[in-house]
Amino acid sequence: MTDGEMLGGPEPALPGRSTAGAGGGTGTRPWDAVIIGGGHNGLVTAAYLAKGGLRTLVLERRERVGGAADTSELGPGIRVPTLAHTVGRLRPSVHRELDLKAHGLSLVAPDVRVFAPSPDGSAVTLWADVERTADGLRHRSSIDAEGYPGFDRLVRSIGRFLDELGRSTPPDVRSPRIGDALTGLKLGRTFRGLGRDDSRTILRVLPMAIADLVAEAFETDAVRAAIAWRGVRFGSVGPWSAGTAAMLLMDSAGNDGGAAGETVYARGGPGALATALASAARAAGAEIRTGADVTAITSRDGRATGVVLGSGEEIAARAVVSGLDPKRTLVDLVDPVALGPQLGWRAGNIRTPGVVAKVNLGLRKLPILPAAGEDALRLLRGRIVVAPGIDAMERAFDASKYGGVSETPILEATIPSLADPLLVEGSKAGTHVMSVIAQYAPYALREGAWDARSADALGDAVIRTLEGVAPGIGELVTHRQVLTPLDLERDFGLTGGHPFHAESGLDQFYLWRPLLGHARYRVGGLDGLYLCGSGAHPGGGVTGGPGQNAAREILADAKKRR
Amino acid sequence: MAQRYDAVIIGGGHNGLISAAYLARAGMKTLVLERRHVLGGAAVTEELFPGFRFSVFSYVVSLLRPEVIRELDLPAHGLDILPLDGTFTPLRKGDGPKGADGKSSGDYLWRVNDHGRTIRELRRWSKNDAEAYEDYGQLMVDMARFIKPILSIVPPDPASNDPRPLLPLGSLLRSFQKLSERQQAVFVQLMTMSASDFLDQWFETDPLKATMSASGIIGTYQGVKSPGTAYVLLHHYMGEIDGAFRAWGIPKGGTGGISNAIGSAARGLGAEIRLEAPVGRILVRDGRAIGVALADGEEILADVVLSSVDTRRTFIDLLEPGSLDPDFETEVKRFKFRGSSGKVNMALDGLPSFSALPGPGEHLRGAISISPSIDEMEQAYDDAKYGRWSRKPYIDIIIPTLVDPGMAPPGKHVMSCFVQYAPYHLDPSLGTWDDNREAFGDAVVDRISEFAPDLKSKILHRNVQTPLDIERTTGLSEGNIFQGELSLEQLFFSRPVPGWARFRTPIRDLWLCGSATHPGGGIMGANGRIAALEVLRSRGRGRGRRVA
Repeated sequence: MTDGEMLGGPEPALPGRSTAGAGGGTGTRPWDAVIIGGGHNGLVTAAYLAKGGLRTLVLERRERVGGAADTSELGPGIRVPTLAHTVGRLRPSVHRELDLKAHGLSLVAPDVRVFAPSPDGSAVTLWADVERTADGLRHRSSIDAEGYPGFDRLVRSIGRFLDELGRSTPPDVRSPRIGDALTGLKLGRTFRGLGRDDSRTILRVLPMAIADLVAEAFETDAVRAAIAWRGVRFGSVGPWSAGTAAMLLMDSAGNDGGAAGETVYARGGPGALATALASAARAAGAEIRTGADVTAITSRDGRATGVVLGSGEEIAARAVVSGLDPKRTLVDLVDPVALGPQLGWRAGNIRTPGVVAKVNLGLRKLPILPAAGEDALRLLRGRIVVAPGIDAMERAFDASKYGGVSETPILEATIPSLADPLLVEGSKAGTHVMSVIAQYAPYALREGAWDARSADALGDAVIRTLEGVAPGIGELVTHRQVLTPLDLERDFGLTGGHPFHAESGLDQFYLWRPLLGHARYRVGGLDGLYLCGSGAHPGGGVTGGPGQNAAREILADAKKRR
Repeated sequence: MAQRYDAVIIGGGHNGLISAAYLARAGMKTLVLERRHVLGGAAVTEELFPGFRFSVFSYVVSLLRPEVIRELDLPAHGLDILPLDGTFTPLRKGDGPKGADGKSSGDYLWRVNDHGRTIRELRRWSKNDAEAYEDYGQLMVDMARFIKPILSIVPPDPASNDPRPLLPLGSLLRSFQKLSERQQAVFVQLMTMSASDFLDQWFETDPLKATMSASGIIGTYQGVKSPGTAYVLLHHYMGEIDGAFRAWGIPKGGTGGISNAIGSAARGLGAEIRLEAPVGRILVRDGRAIGVALADGEEILADVVLSSVDTRRTFIDLLEPGSLDPDFETEVKRFKFRGSSGKVNMALDGLPSFSALPGPGEHLRGAISISPSIDEMEQAYDDAKYGRWSRKPYIDIIIPTLVDPGMAPPGKHVMSCFVQYAPYHLDPSLGTWDDNREAFGDAVVDRISEFAPDLKSKILHRNVQTPLDIERTTGLSEGNIFQGELSLEQLFFSRPVPGWARFRTPIRDLWLCGSATHPGGGIMGANGRIAALEVLRSRGRGRGRRVA
C-alpha cells in the first residue's frame, strides 16, 4: 500500500483533526497512532488500533517485523528460530480476535513438553498429559509421582488468578476511579473464588524461591530442576532467589502450560507468527514501514506529538506507542526535559540485566541422546532442558553475578525441524536445526565487552555442555550462530540484552511494571505516550498480552477525545 | 493440687517478659517459666571467662519499641542504652582509592552520627555519593515514618471474609497515597529489591554499599544480591525517628541488661518468674490449652498459655502429637529457620590495631564492619548456599568495653564478633558443627587479621557460638536468631503461618508472643506487647487499663 492510498485511507470521525499544534511539522495529516517497533506486541497493538478505526502506522527499524519472534536462515534451506523458539504463551483471545489462523498461522503442539536428560543416561519427561507424566516419574520416586498432579493443580489454580491479573490494567493507586474499584472487586472475587487455602497459598507462594516451592512437592533433584527451570528462564536470578516462583507461575498464566510449561511451535518458525500478525494488522488498515529507525519522540507542552526518524523525517501522531523497552523509550527517545529529572532517574534505574545468549545450530543429522533411546523421534520434540540439578543451576547463576559466563550453562534446546520439517525444506536430507537458549551469560562482563572471541568461547561451552547428553553432537554441526546479550541489544534493541525488556522480578511487577505510576500503559506527565511492549504489565514472553492491554487503553483514550 | 494462674508464659526471653509485664499490668496473675538459670533467652549477659562478661548472642539494640520503654518505665528499672557512634569499615592494602603511584595504602570508610563529618568522609571517596547520601537519608527517614505503624498492627487474614481486620490496611493505603510517587516507588523497591540493587541507584563507593547492605542480610539465609533484602536497610533509620534513642546502641551491662530491666518491671507489676523451670508439655483438653507440665512433671494450670518460643518448639515439641489440624501442622513444618549466623566472643589483652587506621581511637568505639566490597559479601553467601561456612565471612565487630569498661578487668577488653555466614545445615562432607567449631573460629580470627594483623597476639580467650550451639543453649530452632527466616513469604500475614498471624493458634487459649510472630525478630519487643494486648482484648480487658 502506498502513502497516497494510505492518506486516502479510512478517516475515523474525530473532531478537531487539524494538524495545528500536532507537531511533526511536515504538513501531512497526523496519524492517530504511530507505533515504534514492529515486535509481536507492537503488531498486536497495531492490529487492535486499526480494527478500532485508528489510522495506525508501525515503524520497524529492521528489514522485517517480528522483533524477538523471528526466523533466520543459517544457510540455504536451513531456517531456525532466531530468539524465542516456542509461541505457546500467545493469548488465545489474541489468536481468536485477530483471526491469525486465517492469516496463515499454524501451530504444532507435540505431546511431550519437556525432555530433561542427565549425563547418566536417565531423563525426566514432562508430557502434556499429567497422569502420564506422573506415571513416568514413579520409577524414580513414588513421592514425586504422587506430588506431580497436586503441583500441577497448584500451578494452574494460581495461574488462573495471575491470568486474570494479567488481562486487567493495573489500577490507578493515586486517584482510583470507579473502574479501578471494579477491577479490584473483580480480582478480589477471583482471589476469594480460589477458596481460603488457595488464596493464602498465593500470598505465601508468590514471593518464594522456586527451589523451595518444588522441594515441597518433589524429592528428586533432577525432577526439581526440570520443573524449576522456568522460574529462572530469562531472569538474572538463580533457583534460590526470592520471586522465582512467581516467574514460573506467570509463565503458566493464560496458557495450557501447567507444571510442565507450554511447548508449541509456529509452523515455519516464530517469524510466521510475526507474518500473521502483520497481515492481520494490514488487513485491519494499519500501515507498516520497515527500515524506519525512530531516533526521537517529539513532544510539546507535556504531550507527545510524534516521532523523528534517523533520516530526519518527522511523523506527527496523536498517540505515540512504544513497543521498545521502557528504558530505551524513556531515556533514549524522550526529551529529558519533557520527562523531568525524577522520572528520568527512575527510568534510568529500570533493571535490565540480560543473562541469556542464543546459540542456533544447523545439524547434519539428528543428534543421538542416549537418554531418549528408541523413542527419540518423539521425545526430542519437546523442550530439551539441560539443568542437572538445583545447585547446578544456582552455580551457573553464581558466575554471572561477578560478570563471568557459566562454565556449564543451563540450556533449553529445541529441535523444531522434528515437528516442523518446513524449516529445513530445500536442504540436504536429514538436516535438522537446533535452537538453544543458554544461561547464564551476563551482558556486563567483568573482562571487557563481548567480542568474537568471547562469543566463540560461549558457543564452545554450549556445545561442550550438549556433548554431555548428546555425545558426538559437535561433529554434526554444519552451521553455528551465537547471539550474545550484546547482539540482542544491537540487533534487536533490547537494552542490556534482556529478552523481557525489563527483569521480571517482584520489584518490576504488575502495579510497578515498568514503574509505579506508569503501569497503565500511559507515561504519566506525557500525554499521548504509551508503552505496549514486554516492559509493561503483564511482562515478557510471546504472549501479546501487553500489546492487547495497551490497545484497549489507547482506544479508550481516543474515544474520550471524540 | 496444681497451682492456678490467669496466664502462664513459656520462655523468659525479652518478648515473653514483655508480654508478662503487660498482662500483669492489666491485673492478670501471670507466671513466666524460663528453662535456663539466666533470664533473657538470646538477650543474656554471661561471664564466659573469669572477669570477662559478654553479650553472648544478641549484642546490640536497635529497635526496642519506644512505647515499650515508656509504658514499662524501663529506665527506672535500670535500662541504660549507650550509643554506638558510627561504623568503621577498614580496608586492606590495595583496597580503596589509588594514590598517584597507582597503589593504595589501604583505606577505610568511617561513618559517624555527625552527619557533616560523614558527608566530608564520603566526599573523599566520591562527590556523587556524598550528595546522594543526603537524598537517600531523607528518603529513608520518610520511609521509616511510613513503615513504623505497620510494626504495631495485628496482621489481618486477607483470605478471611471478615472485613474488620482489614481496616488497618485501609489507613495504610491512605497514608501510602499521601506519599509522593517517588516515595511510593522507593517503598515498593524496599519490599522487593535486593539491598545491592537498591543501593546501586544512589551510590558507587563499594565499601559504602557493602557496609550498608550488610544490615539487609543479618540473620537471613540470603545474600546482599538476593531479592527482598533491601527492606532491613530501613531499620537503621527506625531508631532515628524514635528521637530519644539512637539508631544503634548497647545496653549497659550487656544485652542481659535489657532482659533484667524488663524482668524487674514485670515483677514490679506483679508477675512471677521462675528460672530453671523447663516446660515439657502444653496441657490441652478438648482443643483448649489449660496449662503446662514442667519437665519434672509438675503441672501448672492457667486460663491462657502464651508461648514466646518458636513455632517448632511450641507446636511440634511441646504439644501432644495429633493435637493439631494436619494442614496447620504441614505449614508449621514448612516454616523455614535455616540459621545462618554465628558468634565469636573474644577476651582481649589489649585493643587490636587496624592497618588502615592504626592504634586506638574513636573509630573503635562504634561498629567495626568487615565488609570491604559487595562481591566479598556475596561470595560469603555463595559458600553458605552449598552448606559451607564462609571462608571470608562478613563480620560485625563491637568492642563493648570501650563504652562500658565494667565488662572486663581494667585494661582488658571484650570483643563481640557477629559472623555470617554459618549455615546450620552443613554439607555432610564437612561433618557436624561440633567438628567445625574451632576451624570456624580460626577462619573468623584470620579474616579479621587481614585488617588488624596484630589481633592474634591480643587474644586471651575465645568462645565460638555456632548455629548448633545457639540452638542448644537458647532453644532457637536451627540457631535462627529471629525464630524463623525474615523472608518475604514468612512476613506479615504469613508469619508464622498464613491465616494465623494474629498471635492466636488453632488451640484455643494458646497464644504466640515471640519473634516467630509479626513483626519478626530483633530486640524490638513489639511482638510481646501486641500479643499481650490481643490477649487482653480477647478477655475484654483491653480498655480496662489504658495502654499506648
